[in-house]
Amino acid sequence: MNRKILLGLVWLAAAPVIASGPRGTVPKASANRYPSHAEKGGVSVGAALLTSDEVRKTFVSEVNRCCVVVEVAFYPAKDKPQAVSLDDFSARVTGTETAVKPSSATVVAASIQKSAESRRDITVSPSVGIGYESGPYGGHGTYKAVGVAVQVSEPGSHSGSSERDRDTMITELSEKGLPEGTASAPVSGYLYFPLTKKKETPLQLDCVLNGNKVSLTLP
Amino acid sequence: MAARVLLLISLLTGPAMLAWAIPRQAATTVQEEAAISAASDASKQAGDQTPAAPQTDPNEKKDAKPQHKIHVRLGTVSMGLGYSYFSGPYYYPYSVFGFYPYGVAYPAFFCDPFWCAYPSLLNPVYSGSLAYAEDKGQVKLTADPKTAEVHIDGGYAGTADQLKTMWLDSGAYDLSLSAKGRKAFHQRIYILSRKSLKVLARLEPEEEPDRAREKGVKP
Repeated sequence: MNRKILLGLVWLAAAPVIASGPRGTVPKASANRYPSHAEKGGVSVGAALLTSDEVRKTFVSEVNRCCVVVEVAFYPAKDKPQAVSLDDFSARVTGTETAVKPSSATVVAASIQKSAESRRDITVSPSVGIGYESGPYGGHGTYKAVGVAVQVSEPGSHSGSSERDRDTMITELSEKGLPEGTASAPVSGYLYFPLTKKKETPLQLDCVLNGNKVSLTLP
Repeated sequence: MAARVLLLISLLTGPAMLAWAIPRQAATTVQEEAAISAASDASKQAGDQTPAAPQTDPNEKKDAKPQHKIHVRLGTVSMGLGYSYFSGPYYYPYSVFGFYPYGVAYPAFFCDPFWCAYPSLLNPVYSGSLAYAEDKGQVKLTADPKTAEVHIDGGYAGTADQLKTMWLDSGAYDLSLSAKGRKAFHQRIYILSRKSLKVLARLEPEEEPDRAREKGVKP
């Protein structure tokens, strides 16, 4: 009886973890497969900056509206688990002094929702008509009409503006985000930096590996 | 008794062909936006987010206005051409001007051209939970083979050829397809309201048991 209760408790405790879905992305075979990579103290890290087109294809949420997205992969040393934390990362546009930490899924989703809420669409619909009528009493004539209809969308009528959409975006961004915690096997996922940058300007990603700072330039 | 012959050619070009955007104000820096979002979201994830950019230039604060983006679109363009013959004894003023084009152009004038043009094709009353509703997202499913069984969150939804287009509430779903003699297809999908997602599911043929055994046997 006690064993059943214990099993039930274990199941209840594990349920949220199981229900939370997959986390991160599938890491490539090695850090060398990423455009930028480095190794420090047996730990390798690889990173790739996603273009806005790649972001559009990867995410349903419109992450391009607020952030640049970097895929990061960690390859811990054998039998030496590596702590992974968002606080270990920062990024800045090369040539600028302002560095930013990655945003959490909740913050990114809130930012996208805010942007969607404030969006207004004005639809202009022109219309043209020509008519002719005749009858037995001599009445006949033509009619020409030109019109323009203007429609202004209601606030909050865009994709991503509802609370439910926001929850979905949080789910997507957190499930695809870099998993935090202790990793004993390779892990990878996305980081969301609240930055705007020009296409040709590279990004500098700084991360801390076992207390050592590593800088990667992402083209 | 009036006998009226009406010839009507109405051309309704498709919805939303041309759009141009007038970004009226987008001066709020992304860092500030994220920080604002973090503050407003404190109830959900207090302390989860590191402040995005502590070194942000204080001069930028003067630009911290709410974001308003206005998009101007060209909606449905309507053209009407008509002829009517009036033979009745009563004379009413409009008929003398012939065909009255507003009867044709009305939908384009007074309602959303995105939806008014196709009112009968996607009506929520016609089907169940996979039917269209304004706050749902669309999934366009293309599968090979078309007879594959579709499961959403583990529940049978139908076959792929029946579910080429389905509408789901905003949320994250586990989509899986299976067919006899084919490897199962699994994908995590995220649905946002008023957004469309294309899913291409190609189920690879399963290896024949004999061939699989041959591969496993070392020479």
